[in-house]
Amino acid sequence: MKRLFLFAFIAGLLVVAVTATVWPMPKHLRYQSLISVASDGGRQEDFVIRWPGDRIPRPGEVRSEPYAAAAVGAAALEDTAGSRVSAEMFRVRDTEDNVIGVASRLAGTGAAIADPGRSASSWLIVIPSRGAIFLIQTDAFDATIREQLTEEGNMAFAPAQAAAFWTDRSRIRVTATAPGAIRSATTGQVLRGTSEFAGLTGSFTETWELEEVSADGSTRGRVVLSTLTAAGN
Amino acid sequence: MRALVGLLGLVFGIVVGVGLVLANPLTWFDGLPPLSAEIAPSKAYLWDDYRGVSLSVADLLGVGRRDPDVSLAGPALSLVRIGIVVLPAGEGVPAALAVKVSVIAEENSLWRAQLGSHDYWNIFWPGEGSAFATGYSNYWGMVRDKILPPIGSSDLAADGYPISAPSPLRNSEGVTGAAGRYAGFTGEIRERLYPSASGKNTDWALALKANPPPVVPR
Repeated sequence: MKRLFLFAFIAGLLVVAVTATVWPMPKHLRYQSLISVASDGGRQEDFVIRWPGDRIPRPGEVRSEPYAAAAVGAAALEDTAGSRVSAEMFRVRDTEDNVIGVASRLAGTGAAIADPGRSASSWLIVIPSRGAIFLIQTDAFDATIREQLTEEGNMAFAPAQAAAFWTDRSRIRVTATAPGAIRSATTGQVLRGTSEFAGLTGSFTETWELEEVSADGSTRGRVVLSTLTAAGN
Repeated sequence: MRALVGLLGLVFGIVVGVGLVLANPLTWFDGLPPLSAEIAPSKAYLWDDYRGVSLSVADLLGVGRRDPDVSLAGPALSLVRIGIVVLPAGEGVPAALAVKVSVIAEENSLWRAQLGSHDYWNIFWPGEGSAFATGYSNYWGMVRDKILPPIGSSDLAADGYPISAPSPLRNSEGVTGAAGRYAGFTGEIRERLYPSASGKNTDWALALKANPPPVVPR
């Protein structure tokens, strides 16, 4: 009986050892990276966000019909000096329209960050199977989200989601062409990456493209983040 | 009778085996040293307002059930959690708005006592500037204490779990200043998790230490 108990005990230990060894840890779905090689060197990759569909709403948050131009998945914070910061969350697609990751855009205003009438933005793009990439830029205009008190509570309004923003254009480059007077300001810069993006630096541009203006005054369109990176720039 | 003894031995062996795996000594040596509270005071925050996975033990092991109310649409996002976080003001720094993204790490390993997520922060202080931060959170200690309470220390649960650990990727931790007066800063990140008894409304604390870039004489 003792020998049987001992054998069974060792068998139990082995069951745990084998299970711990072969346990299938979760793996991320990976789409083929759509990267092209630029003619003068470097790798070019575009990331696409469709608004309003790719905005990630906060739990329980729904788009309110009377306020069709309101943005979900966004928040703003303002200090006593009037400097504002806004945060937005998105799903990110590749150029073949596959959802490959998530992104956040934080934009801020203030004397230490950007010239008057402009903002600076920090983009974080996370592609679970590939890592993360950090982008910063000075914006050509104030691209922060505004919060307004409505009958249905505090709501966030994104400039691009209002038809009035697009009266004389259907495409706008958000990335400033010149960095501005602030020392830290920059045109689009790929700051850092992790995992597959580790060691890559370079430049990027953010462009908003209008696709449709609805009768209710809301819009549909896409944000295109075009990155051009190289190792060890 | 023989079958009963065999079954008892097997069950006992499994229990002891699970205990040995959970009590992996690597967990005691694999944490990151805490940052000095004077240099990098912790900012407590709540992260209940999120979309995606809950980062429970089941999620980390890949057997969690997707909650349709908060799950992210898209098969590539099934192991991702994202949320907007407000970091409180204090110690001369204003409140900050941030987005935290956690991705369950593919490199997790039961033998190496690694059961965690890669975390990515995008933080902006109004009127001050912004920074990015990345780290790896290892929930192994918390999982061990949930399953084997006698081995875990009750002090740990009360003081919070220092979940920041060296990343299995070894190249992806740290703070990088982005805009404003934090441009060019580099530093370190530490996170601590305070689980509640119910497992809900868990509190987190974030400590960041960052230094300005070296001045290069002209």
